[in-house]
Amino acid sequence: MKRIETIIGIICLLALVLLPALACDTEEETSDTAYITITDQFGRTVILDSIPDRIISLAPSNTEILFALGLEDKIVGITQYCDYPPEAENITKIGGFSTIDMEKIIELAPDLILAANMHKDTDVPELDRRGFNVLTIAPETIDDVMFNIDLIGNATGAEGIARTLITDLENRIKEVHDKVATLVDEEKPGVLYITWHDPLWTLGEGTITHELIEMAGGQNIVDDISGHGQIDLETVIWRNPQIILASTGHGSAEDSPLIWAQTEDRLSHIDARLNNRIYQVDADLVTRPGPRIIDGLELIAGLIHPELFGE
Amino acid sequence: MPVLFTQNCSASSFPIRKTMNQNDIRSSRTATTGRMATPHSLRWRSRIIAICGLVILLPIIMVFAMSVGSADYSFITIWKIILSQLPFIDLTDNFDVNELGRIEDAILQTRLPRVVLGGLVGSALAVAGATYQGLFRNPLADPYLIGVSQGALLGAVIGFLIAFGNQEISQFGPVPVFAFVGAIAAVLAVYFIARTGRSLPVTTLILAGVALGAALSAITQYLIIASGDSDLHSKVMLWMFGHIEDEWTKVLYTFPFMIVGTMIIWFYSRSLNVMQLDEEQAEQLGINVERVKVILLVCSTLVTAAAVAFCGTIGFVGIIIPHTVRLIWGPDHRFLLPLATLVGAIFLILADTLVRFARPFTGAEEIPIGVITAAIGAPFFLYLLRKKKRGTYF
Amino acid sequence: MLRLENITLGYDRQVILRDISLSARRGEVVGIIGPNGSGKSTLLRGICRILQPKSGRVLIDDSDIAKMSRIEIARLLAIVPQAPSLPETFTAFEIVLMGRSPHLKRFRFESKKDFDIAWWAMGITGTQEIAERQIDQISGGQKQLLTIARAMAQEPQLILLDEPTAYLDINHQAETLDFIKKLCYEHNLAAVAVLHDLNLAAQYCDRLVLLSEGRVYAEGSPDEVITEGNIREVYGAEVCVYPHPINNLPTTLIIPADSRKQSPEVFDE
Repeated sequence: MKRIETIIGIICLLALVLLPALACDTEEETSDTAYITITDQFGRTVILDSIPDRIISLAPSNTEILFALGLEDKIVGITQYCDYPPEAENITKIGGFSTIDMEKIIELAPDLILAANMHKDTDVPELDRRGFNVLTIAPETIDDVMFNIDLIGNATGAEGIARTLITDLENRIKEVHDKVATLVDEEKPGVLYITWHDPLWTLGEGTITHELIEMAGGQNIVDDISGHGQIDLETVIWRNPQIILASTGHGSAEDSPLIWAQTEDRLSHIDARLNNRIYQVDADLVTRPGPRIIDGLELIAGLIHPELFGE
Repeated sequence: MPVLFTQNCSASSFPIRKTMNQNDIRSSRTATTGRMATPHSLRWRSRIIAICGLVILLPIIMVFAMSVGSADYSFITIWKIILSQLPFIDLTDNFDVNELGRIEDAILQTRLPRVVLGGLVGSALAVAGATYQGLFRNPLADPYLIGVSQGALLGAVIGFLIAFGNQEISQFGPVPVFAFVGAIAAVLAVYFIARTGRSLPVTTLILAGVALGAALSAITQYLIIASGDSDLHSKVMLWMFGHIEDEWTKVLYTFPFMIVGTMIIWFYSRSLNVMQLDEEQAEQLGINVERVKVILLVCSTLVTAAAVAFCGTIGFVGIIIPHTVRLIWGPDHRFLLPLATLVGAIFLILADTLVRFARPFTGAEEIPIGVITAAIGAPFFLYLLRKKKRGTYF
Repeated sequence: MLRLENITLGYDRQVILRDISLSARRGEVVGIIGPNGSGKSTLLRGICRILQPKSGRVLIDDSDIAKMSRIEIARLLAIVPQAPSLPETFTAFEIVLMGRSPHLKRFRFESKKDFDIAWWAMGITGTQEIAERQIDQISGGQKQLLTIARAMAQEPQLILLDEPTAYLDINHQAETLDFIKKLCYEHNLAAVAVLHDLNLAAQYCDRLVLLSEGRVYAEGSPDEVITEGNIREVYGAEVCVYPHPINNLPTTLIIPADSRKQSPEVFDE
């Protein structure tokens, strides 16, 4: 009797050890006919068998890049916030920014997913586990934007279009850069960008908007704040910006930051108000790290230095 | 002014009469032993001195608080601006018009209202806390005991949820209005639940308050989760721990509730003293206990609701300050309440000054002031517990 | 000056006392005696109107107290409760000062006169030495005296006492009751005291009211009320009632069970 038990025990043990091996086996299909190996800016490598045909974008900036590269017919899913260009409206929505609809994604069976920074730690590993090809596109600087346009171009067989686009964008950057290159510090007005007024939120060092301001020949008065940060009214009054850029708010409160900047009593003595240099800026143009960021750059440059940029 | 009497009434004469009149008392006051009642009168005197001292200290603390902030104006500049507000004084000649405008905007329109509101909120919470402790005869009572904080929080969350697109509800948006209404509605509900016929038993009030508070918290939590708004959680946490606002209009809306409520509560301080005996004894001494309970409840709730509406549910002030004042100056509400008002104001102004001082070091957002009051309050509680072992203080 | 006319008292649906009538004159001490549960404390509550009578009237100096406000009643009568709870951090003087509440207008604070009266009240109760001590530092007996002082500070016409000697030693029992009796006589007060101890009741009360099962069983002088028959009927106890060797007032002596066995013939009557 004892012997039979021992045999059964050994069989069970073997089964326990071998089963995972069996499972692993099926995943290790390395194809010799890989189309391309792509490594994103976070070092994640993805191997694509063929040119992706079904692409899902998890961020508005990624959607804009795809459209700019002429790949709109290949997009099968986007977020509900992907609102540009208008044609994007007809594409299936797979959730919001941080709340992606996993079931829908699985149903759409994409062969490439372009995620964003916020998905990096949670959704990307899960998508990876389910066997999807995921690239994390999270540009923080203009250079990053160029890098990622190039990356997506390579991944999708649109290298040529990508190259052209990048060259065009870089030319426009150079144009702005040349005009402000000779400005000295005193000629660079203090600029404050507000994303919301109650409480006061602004963008500081390390954000792409900050980079735009600096590149447009201005000085961000909150360069001691890093990232998206709060600021108090006293500091704004003390630092006395010459220009205030009010971001468009959300939904029905779109104009609130602008109205606040124009009407708040306690700002009535700062230079921006005295000289009436308070402008509303479309948040999408100056914060979305896609090809339109250069539109944002030109917009801001025109607001900060109208004497150099006409209009 | 207090009455200081210094002579012993001798026990040697017992006039037979219907009522004691002045002459008899005076005639019985032939001091035979000469024992003075001075310790009592000394105590009254020291309390009055304390009140006067704090009344003088308060503006000094306020000016000190005004000299701290993110805008780096010099102390002298600030003084010049403040003094120039007095009639006949103008020290602002050497400032350029717009620069002067900016300095005044920063100091008088932003910092000063914040200091004032901090003082008002601190005094409101301290007075309400002392009143609740007296009403419930319980050292753990605080202004949030019977549902005020849960009601206010629920109101605030509803306000946050409907904020986008409903900014017209009041010039401040829906949050302060809803928080105020929520606080009062919660206490009203508790009142009606706990009331039995003509009387309002305090233990039932507490139990009803705890139960309703739990229910409101559950609803609030559900709303936060169901909203799907990932920002809401942090907004709510920040609101709960409190933040002193910096606009004169907000001061203007809070001020009347606090002044009226606090004055009425002060008037009832003698009744509150007598109510520290049990309710039956207080009734027998002529106090209309039920009416006083309701009046004090209404006033302290109004005062708390006004404090909480703009600045959130700042904790610990309502407990620490009354107990501290009691420890130093005794339980007589006639002194306890004004002293708590003053000490509460000074305390919160100083705490808020610390918050503003720490701004450059704390990164993107300010430390919520409730964190400071908790950091001071928790060790204080432990200290109180230790002291209780050695004798009573309540 | 106190007259109860056919008072019926009870809590909610329950009736504790039925049809009680009694009176008390100035200068005399009326004792309420009876077994536990006979409604003694309830009666006191009814007199000071903490409890509303279901029927009947309470008259003080011929005025119906039902028509008086709480403060007016508090100016006329003071009650000394049994072992009342006192807040521990107030001083003795502050507690006695609370007795002046009924005489102070709504939002006024105490004046010199009030201080003097409170001090006088502490003087006659011998509590002036502890005036500055906190309540948590004084003994039960002293608390009792303080409560009496507080009652006296009310300048009452009628004083009600609920078991004033309950927690006192034998010497203090005598002292307190001596003192109360003297107070009544010298200040022309009426006093109604609930007493547990039949001997004290006999010694110190001018008249006694014996309650049984919610009704007045007997009323009159101590001799008339404290009899072996009454005690047996009301308390169900066998006692001997003998005249006090000095003043002949009825003294109740209990008889333990063994003693009963020793002299069975005494109980054959």
